[in-house]
Amino acid sequence: MIPNVAPAPADSAEPTAAAVLPKAPRQSAAKKFSGSKLFASPASIAGVIWLAALVVASLTAPLWLPFKTEDQDFTAVLSGPTAAHWLGTDELGRDLLSRIFASAAGTLGTSMITVIVAVGLGTLLAMLAAAAGERVETVISRVTEIMMSLPGTVIILAVIGAVGTNIPLIMGILGVLISAGIYRVMLGQAKSLQSQLYIDAAKVDGVSTAGISLRHVLPGLTNTIVVQAALIFAVGMLIQAGLAFIGFGPPIPQPSWGGMIQGASQHVYDAPWLMVPTGAVLALTVLAANAIGNALGKAPNATASHLPSAAARRQRGKAVAAIAATAPASQDVAKNTLSVRNLSVGVDSVGAGKGVRLVTDVSFDVEPGTVLGLVGESGCGKTMTALSLLGLLPSGVSVTGGQILWNGKNLAAATEKDMEGIRGRGIALISQEPMRALDPMFTVGYQLTGTVRRLRGIGRADAKAEALGLLEKVGIVDAARILKTYPHQISGGMAQRVAIALALAGRPRLLVADEPTTALDVTVQAEILSLLRSLVKDTGMSVVMVTHDLGVVADLCDQVAVMYAGEVVENGRTDSILDNPRHPYTLALLAADPHANHGADMPERLATISGQVPQPKDWPSTCRFAARCQFAGSACLVPIPLLPSGTGDGVVRCVKADELAVEGLDWLATDVPSHHILNLVEAPAAATRTAEKDPA
Amino acid sequence: MSTATSVRPEAPLPAAAQPLLEVKDLVVRYGRGRKAAAAPAAVDRVSCSIAPGETVGLVGESGSGKSTIGKAILGLQKVSGGSITYQGKDITSAGASQRRALGSELRAVFQDPNSSLNPRNTVGSSLAEPLRLRGVGAAEARQRAEDILERVGLPREAVDRYPSQFSGGQRQRISVARALICDPKLVVCDEAVSALDLSTQAQVLNLLADLRDERGLGYLFIAHDIAVVQFLAQRVVVLYRGQVMESGPAAAVTENPRHPFTQALVAASPVPRPAEQAARREARESLGVRTGAAAVPGPGGCPFRLRCPLATELCASERPALRTVGGSDVACHYA
Amino acid sequence: MALFITKRLLMALATVLVVAVLAFLLVHAMPGSPGAVSLGAGASEEAIDEVNQRLGWNDPLLLQFVSWLGAAVQGDLGISLIDGRSVSADLASRLPVTASLAAGATLLSAVLGIALGVTAAVRGGTVDRIIGGVAGMAVALPAFWIGIIFVYLLAVQSSVFPATGYVPFEVSPQDWALSLALPVITLAVGGGAFIARQTRASMLEALQQEHIRTLRATATPTWKILYIHALRYASLPIVAGIALQFIQLFGGSVIAEQLFAMPGLGQAVQNSVSTHDAPSVQGVVVIATVVVVAVNLVLELATKFLDPKLRAS
Repeated sequence: MIPNVAPAPADSAEPTAAAVLPKAPRQSAAKKFSGSKLFASPASIAGVIWLAALVVASLTAPLWLPFKTEDQDFTAVLSGPTAAHWLGTDELGRDLLSRIFASAAGTLGTSMITVIVAVGLGTLLAMLAAAAGERVETVISRVTEIMMSLPGTVIILAVIGAVGTNIPLIMGILGVLISAGIYRVMLGQAKSLQSQLYIDAAKVDGVSTAGISLRHVLPGLTNTIVVQAALIFAVGMLIQAGLAFIGFGPPIPQPSWGGMIQGASQHVYDAPWLMVPTGAVLALTVLAANAIGNALGKAPNATASHLPSAAARRQRGKAVAAIAATAPASQDVAKNTLSVRNLSVGVDSVGAGKGVRLVTDVSFDVEPGTVLGLVGESGCGKTMTALSLLGLLPSGVSVTGGQILWNGKNLAAATEKDMEGIRGRGIALISQEPMRALDPMFTVGYQLTGTVRRLRGIGRADAKAEALGLLEKVGIVDAARILKTYPHQISGGMAQRVAIALALAGRPRLLVADEPTTALDVTVQAEILSLLRSLVKDTGMSVVMVTHDLGVVADLCDQVAVMYAGEVVENGRTDSILDNPRHPYTLALLAADPHANHGADMPERLATISGQVPQPKDWPSTCRFAARCQFAGSACLVPIPLLPSGTGDGVVRCVKADELAVEGLDWLATDVPSHHILNLVEAPAAATRTAEKDPA
Repeated sequence: MSTATSVRPEAPLPAAAQPLLEVKDLVVRYGRGRKAAAAPAAVDRVSCSIAPGETVGLVGESGSGKSTIGKAILGLQKVSGGSITYQGKDITSAGASQRRALGSELRAVFQDPNSSLNPRNTVGSSLAEPLRLRGVGAAEARQRAEDILERVGLPREAVDRYPSQFSGGQRQRISVARALICDPKLVVCDEAVSALDLSTQAQVLNLLADLRDERGLGYLFIAHDIAVVQFLAQRVVVLYRGQVMESGPAAAVTENPRHPFTQALVAASPVPRPAEQAARREARESLGVRTGAAAVPGPGGCPFRLRCPLATELCASERPALRTVGGSDVACHYA
Repeated sequence: MALFITKRLLMALATVLVVAVLAFLLVHAMPGSPGAVSLGAGASEEAIDEVNQRLGWNDPLLLQFVSWLGAAVQGDLGISLIDGRSVSADLASRLPVTASLAAGATLLSAVLGIALGVTAAVRGGTVDRIIGGVAGMAVALPAFWIGIIFVYLLAVQSSVFPATGYVPFEVSPQDWALSLALPVITLAVGGGAFIARQTRASMLEALQQEHIRTLRATATPTWKILYIHALRYASLPIVAGIALQFIQLFGGSVIAEQLFAMPGLGQAVQNSVSTHDAPSVQGVVVIATVVVVAVNLVLELATKFLDPKLRAS
């Protein structure tokens, strides 16, 4: 009812190549109209040129046309292209070229009437419905529904019966009929704009409803308006030509494209050429308008797909084969132990942001029956690392080096077929948004029993019993009822339990959990964490837990790998790292966490880290944290290897770790001097230190 | 940790002082008609008040109605019952003109830094909008926009840039700047730091604390994270399914919770110290609070009764009134 | 669910009623009184008046409408002013023509469009670009122009199909199919392209859903992900697209009927509009609306059935 669930930190939600990549200006709910997009595709450039040329040629037609539209040349009736008549002549010997271009302006102009009426009315209604609330919206929507379920052409013909072939009026009425469809397109967008928080902010300011619509909603609709205008322009031309074709065009001697094609259809036996020029010009004009609309519109984006297309899969197959060819022979690792060695993940070398590294040189081991936490802020490569373990990196992103060793196989170089044998059975996944992780179109029972049957190879009845057992195992009391429900009928916490049951269906030995509790309430989170802990204990499986919450790490994880800017900066036993952090970044995260303090210990100011995690393309070859580090010095400006931290087999990527430990330094509560925020990449580390203003 | 030994401003003001904002028996129902009337209210007879310069934290889980209360105060949500008074004036169903007058004193910072600034407008024009609406000239508005940007730690040149050129944390600073540009008395912060990463969250929390101390602002700080609320708030109101479960001084509510739900909420929030967290986990498990997944209580009675280890028949028949236990007000028959 | 169906039925009824009123008013706005139209040029003023009086033309509008509606509900749509035949009988003989045309074209569009759209989304790469390009061209080509080209290629050049005319199903099913072939193909070019684009976009959107990743993580075979899960998710917008297409094709049949000389509703409306035959125009508009609204209703119920969220509520 009230959506106030904790949102995930920005990027952990969905790691598509576009989302992790360099700071392209963020896509907002509605895009701004941009001329540059219009000239980005050859098709739309051609479209613009064609339309412009047509309008100019038509308006200036009397100046240059070789013939008047009614000039009849009886020496050349129904002729093909000749030197005198470039596009041939019709049955009365009239010059086609002249007639086509002379009638163009009228056709385009009257089509614009449809565009203006349809888009104008549709947009207006949509803005009204979005602003005025549910009741008004219901009324307008009902009316438009009726309009949309009318046989438009028949109605237009009846109108013609009443008012005659008054083309501008007819095109206007057509616009009214079409406006219902435009309203539907615009309404969704207008409502999504109305739900933006900046609208709420404007309302709090006291901006009037009309002011909000004009100042904040309409500008957001411009791109769609232009797209729809282009598409409706094409529709208008086609319908107008169609009407002329069936005899409801402009009065007789006046040329029209539809009328000319109608004439041509009479001569399909004796002069087939006749239909070519007019039809081609009409088709080209419609194509031009469509090309413009498509260039500006939202093209469905295939790259965000969770199942790459066949073409993309072939490409990835080749890349994997290349890695397999260069990879060193797999080393032996104990059974059911995951060993990640020097893993690197990068953006594929085609398209935007090509070749950018997202994860570099990550190594860790996960022993059976233990939980490893991958912790860090957004944009540090945690999720990419986790997804690479299952070969489920998003399209356009792939493993570029290193090994993922699992039961004698190197998963970094495994084929899709190999991975299919491992997913679910060996390694399973649970993800952040349980609701979105389940298929909304099928019942929980269908999804769960299907998965059990597939992964265990058992019959339908056994699978059903097994599914019930799994749901009970994840703490669902009324399992039989839940089996019959659809995902939207259960709560988020329940859905996450179902998702866990689904992950357990194949009795995996390793569970990859990508922020599994971030979207849940804290009391539900505690329950899910308890469930995971008992599952690890009972089944002996291991877990890789991706999280940004140090408290979750403390609660569940045996080992923790702290990631910063695509690399592991500290790795070791959870208690030693959280109680005695060695890397300044870990130190800083703990100092910034209000959960680390309570009661009288709550400081007046929390520690902060100046600036933000740099974009992958800006990662330096030196210590990546140096630019934000309170302790950075000249020694930090070289590549830093992972060094033993001195506690157990822990490692830390900091040259000053020992020094800090000996001196017992803490990350200080400082605040950022303003002018360094925007230029954090250039910001010399020393500058942040001089600006300390410790309250003590 | 910081060596600062801070003394938090003492919360309670003299009883005579008029509260800045007073919410009394607020009821909000969604939808219309008979069906909506039968459904449990999103906000059910909630009362709370904020003194000038005071920060009140509103904590609860999803569906607790905490954001709805914020929206009702800001005039973004229709109220079904009760009253909201600002400086003695009833603003429960304030019209556009009264809102506009109110808009400079009562302002908001919202959750999502991606959508709280119009991506098509420059930062400067977003900041200037509330000023321009109140007749401030363009040049002065720009000047004040630059000043406030500087105050929240951003360069003055930021006025001419677009929101997309800033990170989430920076955008949230801009939202704070927008709220403060009219010198408000009360700012409603609706999950203002929830979408931010730890280090940026800390930056914004510090900024909010500084501004409060500097300008004597009052905050209604709405959050699901009790630790964040604890950092900023002097008083905390805990909500469950639209009703107040417990309210009182921040330290009392978070350190010594009386209501079983508050106890569960506090115990469930994990701390990043493994040994301590293990102890908290055991303590949480021994509370005996049942899972909330399938527990939808009927109308009447205590909304928490189906999950509560203390619940009896009384809890189903009679809604517990708030009564003072220790330092806080608790809505529980058995606390 | 029962409530939903009742609601929709009432909506549909309201739609037809609105259109009936609209058609009635339009027809009254037509130039020429029924007497003038039926008697033709040169008729005396008195004769015209007499016919008008007999047809109730001079009665109050509301009365005329109610009596027309009363008759229409019983299946009597009046008599043509031109040839004096019963409008209902005429339209009853024409409806099958247009219905088979529109249904055939919708069916072919749907089959072609879904196959091509799914292929484009699933295969990607070059295949996707080719299908996209062809579909882009196909939606831009006017149906009547494509029709002429088909006539030229398939009827004139190689007499695979009859160029024009319509053979009723009762006469010869085989000739019926042949006579429908060209018009159906003509209409299905644009319709199929439209549905192909809709399908491709819906499939791509379905494949972007996070549950697809869950399916992959549980080793679901690719074909199952594509054709059971993704297609199922995409089915809602696709069905909506098909419904829209039927409405357009039903109207668009006017052009196909003109081009292929088929005695359908489109031809009727075209003729009666040209001759100002008011009862016929009114009749066609109402019949066309009833058919379109009915089909729309069925498809809407199908959508409802396909969407578990709607079904549950």
